[in-house]
Amino acid sequence: MEALSLLFSGFEVAFTPLNLAVAFAGVALGTAIGALPGIGPINAVALLLPLCFALKFPPETALILLAGIYYGSGYGGRISSILLNIPGDPGLVMTTLDGHPLAKQGRGSAALAISGIGSFVGGTTAVILMTFLAVPLARFALSFGPADYVALMALAFALLAAMGGYSAAKTLAALSLGLLFAMVGIDGGSGVERFTFNSIELTGGIDFSSLTMGLFAISEVLILVEGISGGTVTRYAAGARLKFGEVLFCLPAMLRSTLIGFLFGILPGTGAAVSSAVAYTAEKRLSDRDGTFGKGDMRGLAAPETADNAAQTASMIPMLALGIPGSGTTAIMLGAFLMYSITPGPLLFTQRPEVAWGLIASMYIGNIMLLILNLPLVGVFARLLLVPPWILYPGILGLSFAGVYAVSNSAFELLVTVFFGVVGYLLRKVGVPTIPILLAFVLARLLEDNLRRALTLSDGDVSILFQSPISIVLWLLAALAVVLPLLLSRFRSRLVESAEHV
Amino acid sequence: MTIDRLVGGIFLLIASFAFWHAYTLVVPFAADPVGPRVFPMIVAAMLGIGGLGIALRPAEVELEFGQWMRVLAVLAACIVYPFLLVPLGFVAATALLILVCGLAFEARPVPALISAVATSVVFFVVLDKLLDLPLPVGPLGF
Repeated sequence: MEALSLLFSGFEVAFTPLNLAVAFAGVALGTAIGALPGIGPINAVALLLPLCFALKFPPETALILLAGIYYGSGYGGRISSILLNIPGDPGLVMTTLDGHPLAKQGRGSAALAISGIGSFVGGTTAVILMTFLAVPLARFALSFGPADYVALMALAFALLAAMGGYSAAKTLAALSLGLLFAMVGIDGGSGVERFTFNSIELTGGIDFSSLTMGLFAISEVLILVEGISGGTVTRYAAGARLKFGEVLFCLPAMLRSTLIGFLFGILPGTGAAVSSAVAYTAEKRLSDRDGTFGKGDMRGLAAPETADNAAQTASMIPMLALGIPGSGTTAIMLGAFLMYSITPGPLLFTQRPEVAWGLIASMYIGNIMLLILNLPLVGVFARLLLVPPWILYPGILGLSFAGVYAVSNSAFELLVTVFFGVVGYLLRKVGVPTIPILLAFVLARLLEDNLRRALTLSDGDVSILFQSPISIVLWLLAALAVVLPLLLSRFRSRLVESAEHV
Repeated sequence: MTIDRLVGGIFLLIASFAFWHAYTLVVPFAADPVGPRVFPMIVAAMLGIGGLGIALRPAEVELEFGQWMRVLAVLAACIVYPFLLVPLGFVAATALLILVCGLAFEARPVPALISAVATSVVFFVVLDKLLDLPLPVGPLGF
């Protein structure tokens, strides 16, 4: 129980007035930043890092602040995903699937509450796992070779294709479109320009925020102004509060999703986007007996939200224990370590225990603060939908553009955003899902880089992709994800047939 | 003929273009045995299969057109906005965008104007002043 005594000394660090105040400021700011579509925690973290230095914060205080913003943003981002169907972050895409239908049914505040509780369960459980398993798990993550990553991506895509609701052909087409969009720009391996059409602006590639804001925010406003899906937003009803029974009903889903989120979160690069997609599809396979997933099922909302927060917490493990950042935001946090001339890695836990354990302890406190901060406010947030459409939706449009411009500093990116808005609008009209586009876009780089790395190692021999035990297991799971639903539906129809014959 | 045949056909066209584009890429030197051409070709093939699947087994998709004039109005405002943003400054350009869209959402003119100006000023203060993310300023300094 050495970890417990170390954690206890960590709490002594985290409970100093300055660190408590900074943790609160971090999670509150993180929630606010996460709620703004298009502006992620990475901007806030990058902005505050020099400030920490200027204020002469000790290193553990600075890291508590930055980490608070990071996991606090996970709480904030769900607001626009659930209420407006606009995910601000790759990890929040799956939140819209059941979250937005719930909001449309007038249960916006209940949806916000259950996702807040899910985030708390995911975040806290992940911190507990991290307390005891950080170093061995980080070692495991490091044993993932390029071929294993390729198999992992295949599993993620296979699960997505099996997600249902859309035909497999349409999901495959959407996935491929996302991969193609991600290829625009200069290829890192060879310096060759791909799909740039001789445009200088496109050589830098398509920005994630332009794609998301276009596919989700702009297209949503265009669909709404057309007025076919008229009265989409049901008025917020005060009586539809979250019941305690519903929380218990979702608890098994939350615990399963925490584990999924945690395991995928440790792997550098895959993080929240993969873990929430896997958690959602796994939960749908496991518990969607009445076909309520996608139409406003509480479990369908709790699962990705829990996994997202668990993954966010877990993504700090490789950064702390090995010095390898798993995402853009943790990369900046790594920069913070280096600015204080602390080297993250296995020795961090023994040489600077006050930093490592103070940070871990503050994450327990921060998650509780977030729950206390968020639950009373769900009613207030849900009232966002009471704002008349003629103020709300034009405002969303303006904020999306402002966010894209603030991040990219280029008017050209705004045109790209509008282009994706039109693409998203047309695809939604003809029934092609847009979520696979976004997920494929996020993962494309990782997939191609690892594919090429693996084939470089084997000098072009494709069989390397199927050699390591990890990759074999992942490929089998991927095959299972595709084949199992087909078999199940055939089995079910045969059951129905035999029942009719009797 | 359902709209799905057209959608599948368009995906096939995009796929063949992408395949052709990747196939004709000139690679000056080979950094790795795979190079930049293989991955896009695989993905283009995937898109082609998807497009073919959609076109051959089309589902019945009802294509409805609602208030398409309003969609065009919002779209036009969105396309003009990037060109006005830098010359006019964030507040004026965004107020104009929000005003047009507000009218498309059936607002009365005067409230729409008030909300447009108020919303864009709030965004400017939050993003530019509080978060220190620079937004373009117009001739009047905001």
